[in-house]
Amino acid sequence: MAGPLDGIRVLDLTMWFQGPVAGQHLADLGAEVIHLESPKGGDFARGVRSIKALAIGDWNQYFLVINRNKKSMAVDLNTPDGKEIAHRLVETSDVFLTNLSAKALEKWNVTYDELAKLNPRLIYAMGSGYGPYGRITKPSFDMTVQALIGVMARQGEPGQPPIYLGMGSGDAMGGMMAALGIMLALYAREATGQGQFLDASLYGAQTFMAAPTLQAYLATGNQRYARPVSRTEPDNPLWNTYQAKDQWMFLCVPNEDAPWRALCESLDAGALVADPRFADPEQRRTQATALVAELDTRIATRDASAWMNRWTKAGIDASPIVTFKELAADPQAWDNDYLLNAHCEEVDREVKVRGLPVGFSKTPGVVETLGPQLGQDTELILFETLGYDWDKIGELKAGGTIL
Amino acid sequence: MSVALEHVVVLDLTTQLWGSMAAALLADFGAEVVRVEPHDTQGDAGAHGTWNHTFDLVHRNKKSLAVDRAGERGRDLLQALAAKVDVVITDRLETELTAEGLDYASVSAARPDTVYAQGSGFGPKGPDAGLPPIDELAAARAGMMPLLPQPDQPPVYAGHGQMYTSVMLAYGVVVALFHRKKTGEGQRVDASLLAGNMYGASLDLQAYLAIGEDRLLQPVSRLDAGNPMSGVLYPSQDGLWIAVTMPDTDRWWPALAEITGLDVADPRFDTHDKRCNDNRLALIAALDAAFKQHPAAYWRQIFNERQMSADVIEDYEYPATDPSARDNRYILDLDDASLGPLRTLGFPIFMTDTPARLRANAPRRGQHSAEIVRELLGYSEHDIAALEQEGVLG
Repeated sequence: MAGPLDGIRVLDLTMWFQGPVAGQHLADLGAEVIHLESPKGGDFARGVRSIKALAIGDWNQYFLVINRNKKSMAVDLNTPDGKEIAHRLVETSDVFLTNLSAKALEKWNVTYDELAKLNPRLIYAMGSGYGPYGRITKPSFDMTVQALIGVMARQGEPGQPPIYLGMGSGDAMGGMMAALGIMLALYAREATGQGQFLDASLYGAQTFMAAPTLQAYLATGNQRYARPVSRTEPDNPLWNTYQAKDQWMFLCVPNEDAPWRALCESLDAGALVADPRFADPEQRRTQATALVAELDTRIATRDASAWMNRWTKAGIDASPIVTFKELAADPQAWDNDYLLNAHCEEVDREVKVRGLPVGFSKTPGVVETLGPQLGQDTELILFETLGYDWDKIGELKAGGTIL
Repeated sequence: MSVALEHVVVLDLTTQLWGSMAAALLADFGAEVVRVEPHDTQGDAGAHGTWNHTFDLVHRNKKSLAVDRAGERGRDLLQALAAKVDVVITDRLETELTAEGLDYASVSAARPDTVYAQGSGFGPKGPDAGLPPIDELAAARAGMMPLLPQPDQPPVYAGHGQMYTSVMLAYGVVVALFHRKKTGEGQRVDASLLAGNMYGASLDLQAYLAIGEDRLLQPVSRLDAGNPMSGVLYPSQDGLWIAVTMPDTDRWWPALAEITGLDVADPRFDTHDKRCNDNRLALIAALDAAFKQHPAAYWRQIFNERQMSADVIEDYEYPATDPSARDNRYILDLDDASLGPLRTLGFPIFMTDTPARLRANAPRRGQHSAEIVRELLGYSEHDIAALEQEGVLG
């Protein structure tokens, strides 16, 4: 099936997560994405197993999923021949995508100024840490940027350590933003014929990620938006986490009288309805801690499935708070292609992967292959796309410029 | 300078923050976004003298159309409008939309090349396709909440899952517009809160999918991290925390040992394997003690001097006062005629030729009703006056 981005060529000089995942979104929709790597080991994420910061399976799920549907070229950009290859690729590409440091890009002659001269239609997409006018120059990782933005400091219970939102959580947002920026630039190019530079930094992406509370803090300076708020002190005690007998649940009931009465009824808690402390929405808000304690006691008496039965019947919105184990078996995730099976060459079997986050009725995405082997497409791209002859290719190979 | 989404007209039928922000992203990049006011938004504007900061964030750069959606003429008008625009974007339940003739099937029957973006709670297919789009329910279902806190703490709802959905929806729209420009074909685009929360949990989720072991379902104590130098939090002397991400420990160990006063040649820690396997817990304990010796500001200065990937864990006051957040336009300083100086979130994507712009704050309810029906539907002033008189247009 033809993807919506068929015919778009992306030169993907990225590493780790933020940059590669932006390329993944484009590759899923049919773009030809060429992951350009060093012949000496390639993208560092190929060696992520030894880092020990994340459990890695018998296949490298970190690298192979975010580089799926891509080609790999292994070219030594330190050599004049390697630089020439990169420039010739740029001449035939629509997008240059990178999350490498300014220093590396200068060293390899692949800065925006340089590449725009070669191809004025080129869209140069940067995934930086701190933005084009950032003042921090040290290497940026998702967590060190999340640390600055303030999202970590406001999570969880007061007195507990700050909370990182999950491995690569901010990178994933940065990658999605870069993909959006690239599409905006491609769309604009249809009208103008011109490429441009764009940057979707971790810092910018994470301010967007934090928007619901960060905007409130910017506007009011109220510490409640910046600090951890205990689950025993919610704005609305009916919209809160509760521990059933066997597992935690999320209860989502508006603080209005009719749903409050329905909730009490479902809890066999007629006494609560009559309790003057909780007589109206304002009382329930000011008496939140007392009300959470009352609900804690009652909800702890039954299993989540028993509550779900009652609450579904009563039209009350709630869900058990599940682990990845339940998600991995959830038909909702499979039916919508949010989870997919894919063949993994590394272990020669079907594996489960994160699927397609956006659905398209006429031009759906697809996962055809997991991440490429280092340099697997180098020679063919040199020959077919760039018109190098086999003698020259052999020479480049013998000299170590390509793998 | 031009805008990226020149001449793209969007009908915004969203009701929730994340859906409205997807439409606002399109407006920021130049689309003409017509927000159709819900029935009951008389109170949307801030109370007298206060700023409705959320409203101005999620509806900036939009036009407002107030129309009586309960009545037949109002519905006809909306259906006619849906058949005129390039994009319809919504986060409402499909059942409600179908009742109003504004679902994908109806809209695409009237205009086959429509790009129709549907945000939902759990996706268009599957047994729970009809559940309400509530981010907390999707987060509960996505598996990440129990993993976030320290062991034995309540699960954590961080609230950011919906923001992935917001970007996904906007991304889907622009992809579909691009496809339409090439082929003339419209289509339906779907993004859900479940998918947003799953992509937010990406690497942890993918690790479980690949390995499938129950240990990956349990939160890990910060004192039991797999790599003491990567993704670990340490408290400093003044109670502020330090985040350290230097995964390549061979490269960074000499510098880290030096600044923390540890012996770089300590035989317990002199190889990557010893640091991350054999003596991992001892190294975490040593670093935990070392970082407590100095306040956070001291560590930040050293990290900057040494260009080390580590930083102090700040609260929102940091971006709120960071000059580089202004330079990058991630945060904007506004000077409102009646409210005075205000700070608001800016634009997450920097573009040289088609940058996002703040052209207008959120519109007043119905501010552009007459203009919209005149320009998009060709109504005469006489028609408009009649519709206003009959309460169809507000």
